[in-house]
Amino acid sequence: MKIWSDKEKMSREELRKLQFKRLKKTLNHVYENVPYYHEKFKTAGVKPVDIRSLEDLRHLPLTTKEDLRKNYPFSLFAVPKNKIVRYHASSGTTGKPTVVGYTKNDMKVWREVIARIVTMGGVTSEDTAQITFGFGLFTGAFGLQQGLEKVGAGVIPISSGNTQKQIMIMQDFQSTVLIGTPSYALHLAEAAQEMGIDPKEELFLKYGLFGGEGSTEEMRAKLNEAWGIVSTENYGMSELIGPGVSGECQAFRGMHINEDHFIAEIIDPDTLEVLPEGSVGELVITPITKEGIPLIRYRTKDITQLDTTPCDCGRTSARMAKITGRTDDMLIIGGVNVFPSQIEGVLLGIKGIGSNYQIRVLKKGYLDRIEIDVEVINQDLLVSVTLLDQLYKEIESKLHTILGIHAGIHLVEPKSLVRSEGKAKRVIDLRSENL
Amino acid sequence: MLINQLSVFIENKKGHLSKITKVLKDAQVDIRAISVFDSAEFGILRIVVDKPELGAEALKKAGHVVKQSYVLAVDPSDKVGSLHDVFTLLSDHDVNIEYVYSFVMPNNQGSPLIILKADDQEKAIALLTASDFSLIPKEAVYNVLND
Repeated sequence: MKIWSDKEKMSREELRKLQFKRLKKTLNHVYENVPYYHEKFKTAGVKPVDIRSLEDLRHLPLTTKEDLRKNYPFSLFAVPKNKIVRYHASSGTTGKPTVVGYTKNDMKVWREVIARIVTMGGVTSEDTAQITFGFGLFTGAFGLQQGLEKVGAGVIPISSGNTQKQIMIMQDFQSTVLIGTPSYALHLAEAAQEMGIDPKEELFLKYGLFGGEGSTEEMRAKLNEAWGIVSTENYGMSELIGPGVSGECQAFRGMHINEDHFIAEIIDPDTLEVLPEGSVGELVITPITKEGIPLIRYRTKDITQLDTTPCDCGRTSARMAKITGRTDDMLIIGGVNVFPSQIEGVLLGIKGIGSNYQIRVLKKGYLDRIEIDVEVINQDLLVSVTLLDQLYKEIESKLHTILGIHAGIHLVEPKSLVRSEGKAKRVIDLRSENL
Repeated sequence: MLINQLSVFIENKKGHLSKITKVLKDAQVDIRAISVFDSAEFGILRIVVDKPELGAEALKKAGHVVKQSYVLAVDPSDKVGSLHDVFTLLSDHDVNIEYVYSFVMPNNQGSPLIILKADDQEKAIALLTASDFSLIPKEAVYNVLND
């Protein structure tokens, strides 16, 4: 199997030297150009010059989504706006999204790290890749597209949804690579069978590159079996770069982190102390080649562990295990990040409904579905069923605007929602653990 | 002439109607007329009872959303076309009927009466009073069994 870049085979010692050099450059860059970081470092009593080794990184303050929210939209950018060539955004914890910007060089880095990851997944210039992520503000689709083109693969930017058309294009264009969330890929396989098309015999897929949501080995087995493909998983988030932080090789021993661009640490989410290699904890990432919005020690809130023992594939980079959970209450619905606080913000802004609501997340077939029960408390709505219908539609459309997904809304009688210890249980996740 | 009606929000689920009737039964409130206006998942239960204040209070106490509003009770007389005449009279005078449902009072020889909600209730009362149709006073509806 091909390895895209020699950088992926550097000795650990050489890599650490390069990481330190790039870290120093990044720290100076944010200290000079981002007033918020300048203040944050000052408050913590550290200066870039105090960082004398990679180990010293732990003395720097952590960054969270809250810092991005406070600096909405551009105050964490480290370059003038005219140097930004691309914007993306992801879910914030409230109504406002989290915004990121890329310089020309950031775009080059992004293409490079994606090229490595798709190569790990088996893709070559001979392949045709169908991207079923939505092209838009989310980073998934555009990120993969650029890296695939860099490798020389053909890209079909079909975007999300329209399942039957996906299958038709897949067959007619002879797609060999499927890109998307694992749950949508399972849904597509089922849809193909329903259309009377055997995914293994009548389609041409060889590889599946999946991300945007966590997956399990059981899910991989199911995907490989249903499509007759080799599936790999990759990881990233818009705050760090988008997809491209890490990806699986054909040895399937975790996701190789592009360590010459990202420094990974594992911390205890409670004490915030850095944990030794192999410990399970929260992943903290510091991008060390970014210009547009370089975040220092960004808390991903994802739970995983790191492994730097040599991999069969020949790459020397550290590998992260599959994400096993979150340290916050973020939900991933069909690859879209949703915070219960966003939903609450929308509901509390609508007249006539109570502050009691319940979010249920379930699987409809292979697809995630979110259902929200809201208590009707305003008697003036009882003038006509039409008023209740309008309320229902208002909730649905406002949630769609903020979350970017459709939620099923159910108006329920007041005080009908389950309460535990006097407090309503807000989120019930009914998706089975092993899928 | 205006009758106090209770409107209650109700989910379209098994047992939800009986939850409400139980509250009224326990409060010794008697139902005179009843109707449900619903969509797929929820609806509005509209009832006329003998003791509207007591009924509303009991339902609120039991956690229900209750709205009190006013409707008309009309006796269209039991003959072919009489209901049509009521509706025509109102529509000819630009009075819009929001909803209507029927009920029977035992002391009325079983002839059906209608509960009617118009957009302009005062005008509807004036029109109906000036015509041959009789409006049932609220006392007669509430106290039917005591007559």
